[in-house]
Amino acid sequence: MADDLVTLTIDGHEVSVPKGTTLLEAAKTIGEQVPHYCYHPGLSSPAMCRLCLVEVEGAPKPMPSCVTTVMEGQVVRTMSEEAKGHREGVLEFYLLNHPLDCPICDMSGECDLQDYVHLEGRKQGRGVEPKRVFGRDDFGGDVLFYGDRCVMCTRCVRFMSEVEQDERLTVVERGNRSVIDTFFTEGLEGTNWHGNIVDICPVGALVSKDFLYKARAWDLDHTPSVCASCSQGCNVMLHTRDNLVHRVKPRENLEVNGWWMCDHGRMDYEWINDGNRLEAPLISEDGVSRRAVGWKDALGELLGRAEELEAASVRAVASARASNEDLGALAELVGALGGGETVFRSPRAQEELVLKGFPKLARRKDLAPNVKGAELLGMRRVGDDAGAGGLDSVAEHGSIVIVLGDVLADQGEDFGAGADLYVYLGTHDSPAAKHADIVLPVTSHAEQEGTFTNHEGRVQRFWPALQPPGMARPAWLILGALDAELTGEGAPETAAELFGKLSDAVPAFGGLTYPDLGTQGASAKVGAGAGS
Amino acid sequence: MAYPYVSDKEVSVVSKGFGDPLQRRIDTYVERGGYGALKKALGMGPDDVTEIVKDSGLRGRGGAGFPTGVKWSFMPKDNAKPHYLLCNADESEPGTFKDRELMRWNPHQVIEGCLIGAYAIRAKHVYIYCRGEFFEANQILARAVEDAYAKGYCGKDILGSGHDIDVTVHQGAGAYICGEETGLMNSLEGQRGQPRVKPPFPAAVGAFGMPSTINNVETLCAVPHIVEHGGAWYRQWGTEKSPGTKLFCVSGHVNRPGNYELPLGFPLSELIEDVCGGIRDGNALKAVIPGGSSVPIINAEEVARCSLDYEGCVEVGTMLGCASVIVMDDTTNIVKQVRRMADFYAHESCGQCTPCREGSAWTAQILRRIENGSGTEADLDTLMEMTQQMVGTTICVLSDSVAAPVQSSINKFRDEYMALIHAESSAEPAGVA
Amino acid sequence: MSDAPFKNPGWAGNTGEFDLTEEQVRGDDFVGDRPKHGGHASGAGTLPYMLAEKNPEAKLFEGEYQERFEKILTRYPTKRAALLPTLSLAQELRGYVSPESMDRVAELLDLSPAYVRGVSTFYTMYNKRPVGRYLVQVCTNISCNLCGADEVLEAFLSYTDTELGETSEDGNFTTIEAECLAACGFPTCVQINSRYFENVTPAEVPKIIEHLKTKGGD
Repeated sequence: MADDLVTLTIDGHEVSVPKGTTLLEAAKTIGEQVPHYCYHPGLSSPAMCRLCLVEVEGAPKPMPSCVTTVMEGQVVRTMSEEAKGHREGVLEFYLLNHPLDCPICDMSGECDLQDYVHLEGRKQGRGVEPKRVFGRDDFGGDVLFYGDRCVMCTRCVRFMSEVEQDERLTVVERGNRSVIDTFFTEGLEGTNWHGNIVDICPVGALVSKDFLYKARAWDLDHTPSVCASCSQGCNVMLHTRDNLVHRVKPRENLEVNGWWMCDHGRMDYEWINDGNRLEAPLISEDGVSRRAVGWKDALGELLGRAEELEAASVRAVASARASNEDLGALAELVGALGGGETVFRSPRAQEELVLKGFPKLARRKDLAPNVKGAELLGMRRVGDDAGAGGLDSVAEHGSIVIVLGDVLADQGEDFGAGADLYVYLGTHDSPAAKHADIVLPVTSHAEQEGTFTNHEGRVQRFWPALQPPGMARPAWLILGALDAELTGEGAPETAAELFGKLSDAVPAFGGLTYPDLGTQGASAKVGAGAGS
Repeated sequence: MAYPYVSDKEVSVVSKGFGDPLQRRIDTYVERGGYGALKKALGMGPDDVTEIVKDSGLRGRGGAGFPTGVKWSFMPKDNAKPHYLLCNADESEPGTFKDRELMRWNPHQVIEGCLIGAYAIRAKHVYIYCRGEFFEANQILARAVEDAYAKGYCGKDILGSGHDIDVTVHQGAGAYICGEETGLMNSLEGQRGQPRVKPPFPAAVGAFGMPSTINNVETLCAVPHIVEHGGAWYRQWGTEKSPGTKLFCVSGHVNRPGNYELPLGFPLSELIEDVCGGIRDGNALKAVIPGGSSVPIINAEEVARCSLDYEGCVEVGTMLGCASVIVMDDTTNIVKQVRRMADFYAHESCGQCTPCREGSAWTAQILRRIENGSGTEADLDTLMEMTQQMVGTTICVLSDSVAAPVQSSINKFRDEYMALIHAESSAEPAGVA
Repeated sequence: MSDAPFKNPGWAGNTGEFDLTEEQVRGDDFVGDRPKHGGHASGAGTLPYMLAEKNPEAKLFEGEYQERFEKILTRYPTKRAALLPTLSLAQELRGYVSPESMDRVAELLDLSPAYVRGVSTFYTMYNKRPVGRYLVQVCTNISCNLCGADEVLEAFLSYTDTELGETSEDGNFTTIEAECLAACGFPTCVQINSRYFENVTPAEVPKIIEHLKTKGGD
């Protein structure tokens, strides 16, 4: 162990890091962020931005910290006058031809050039020559290119060649005429991961058309979440303002998605902002008209009607878009109401889209975030690859039918017509919910706390990013309260508490707690089978 | 003799065939003793060849002056990977025109040097990366290599020795930076000719990811002579630290410009006044760039003290570089010429490192403004400080090369800059800074 | 300067102390005609000339050209390494490297078209657009500049009645500034297509232009 560690001094602090670590990464361990553009941990290091040069005692020249590896006893200074003076000089070079159009730049507020210059730039630039002009170019897909803002770090070119491995971008020309470009009119269309080049662009050169002029970076709240578009479970950040999701950005998790996410998942957020939501519990007495009621009345009504039924049996339809907590609470309630089968449906894509340079990451065939979670909780998958069909036995069930989260798009108005009690929990109304006796409004994953279990059994938390509409509440809270009434046990008050219970009951989740999961998740014991 | 002029001060070793069209022909070359050194080398072990070159003290003639034998000894001796020898024939340093002459007058000397070098470093393939603009030299080399193949000097089992060495002439496509050794490797591999970050060094990871050595044309041309006559023989010329002879490319304001092969340590003033017939039109000497445009400029007083070897040049604050002596008389507009060099570097910067990409163009812009009479004294301070930011901060030394002529000329010819800054036509009043 | 009689415009043979013919200096007598198929594979990649006659519509890599391309491939351990010579081959026929040529070369060498564009724009010898029958490249770098290169450039522009980089109306001449051509002892050096014209003075420029117009040559 000790043989593999190298001890050196960075800015007066002694650090021990594994052999082969770069100075830049070693400095991170003591909280020093050496400014850089071209370096990105997920890409090769060309050491060309020259911003990360640091002073190494005994070296004749400043060393690029992104490629220089640690040596025993080395003395490194990242904040010496020499290093700072050097950065000041390089930053002046960067600003020579930069348009300084921060007021209208989408990157403003989260721009590495802005930040570094603010921190360590010259008070006054000396460049008085006319600036070079490249103008703007549509790169296709979601990407716009502002050539004049580019710092030529080539992260985008390297992402396309090394990670996506579809070399659509290149550096054209040389010297200070160099500019990033595509092959003439052929752009990024048809590639599946190009949104990432906008993320890794350290300045406002590559911007998202979808996000263009929508919000200022400093107005956005960032909430850690998990992408709900497939079962990969990419860690993401939801960027919100005014209770709307404005964009989705990948969040680093080396076990799941690295620094990346697919374009489909990135763009799949508008549904969260859909204003046409169920906002209050609805009760129907005659199966035709519905009236909005408060939660107390709604739950009282539900329990009252259930009590009237003797020897009830339940058929439930769950959704692989619901959290582990929601599904767990549903399973409990089904048991408490007399037991029965819970099924779920989930659409499946024809093939996986693997990110070649980071093959751990793919857009999975299962296009819902919690297929694995539903399976681990003992729910049976039914229906076809479009997520339709397979509900005949439920549709005609006579006793209790509970639907959670499935809008039943393929089902007709007579769904559940024969049931004694038909309860529909959803975010949106649907024709098939029309005859539900009780409709309960629930929150989307962006409005509640919870966990999803990804395709390989990794349980990952997400946090509430938005205020729920009207009276909508998390399904686990509603279902948990009902279950508590039926069983006489206490109702769960937090998602963490409910997950703790689930963890005790379901062997696959055995032992896991929210603190264990942290922000990066942890693996369930896949293969441990369903519990309860 | 050195085409197109001859001087009796010359020592003809590598330049022997200059101006003799028969020298190109393989029969003549062999008749005159050519490929004898190759035969001799093949009779020795590869490391013995390297030892001889080490003994001779031969230093790289491409500009850096690194000892050739030592460079060869860095190559791994026992691995299964293919090794490559790259002959750097991408001559493009302003003021330098020796390699073109070596290739067009005596191509077999180049080929023989390459073959011996390849044998010494255990390479089975030599790439002669010849500058793209040199159509004539490329054709002559290609023809000569073809002849060498026909006579069994290249290819399989050369001269019955059991060793295979292929030679390929690779034509460049127009980029100064491909004269930088790792830029050349990238270019040879079909990439943009951007220099690579070192380490790893070429002897470990070079062309096609394999151990490689890269030598200048002139360096390799000296090798057959050294192998044939021995290291001590080569040391009869030059100084202790800079042994041997060197081609001096003299251009600019002299009466007899051209290539002259002289012992290292030759006095610069004698080269100009005697060998090159003095300054044109009887003018006075103003300045000299002794090693190609990338080295600091020196004034007449320093010229008088300068001896042309690696150390002698350093003593007067400049470098021997590739011994390209650019002579300027007293009619020269120094600012204009420095600006022209800055334009060149801005044009040739590969563009990967920021200080060089932005700094070289900015330097040229400021110098142009001064040249046109719109400069200020503050511009000179900016130039000095900003070019200093370009020294030692980039992957290769092109950036340093921008700083050398700018800083040295401002230091030594500040009055010329000031005259332009304070000229009547100046757009801004003097002293505004 | 030598008092030798004038022999041929823009050829260094009339300078200095040697008495040689133009063929002897240029090595034409030694090289002879090199076949379109490239001759021996070792030098097949060097053959591309800048020809006066160009056909932007020419079919690429057919017949002898295909043969040459295949020879080039045999000389490198990777396909990509053949990129520069292959681009030269395309330019030899078409006079410039068009997007279509890049695309075709990319296909032949299993590279992405964008990559090929990136590489071809790095190098100055690949023309990005069509040029005249004669591409005149005047070195104006320091050594030539000291000896009057700016005037030589001026003379070419005025005698061909063009601006820098523009092609003359008759389609004959495109004049551009070149960086050091490594013929600093023979200022001013001018490269016209694949040939170096050395010791060029402004006075010689009209003779060179006339020579090319009437006698042609590559």
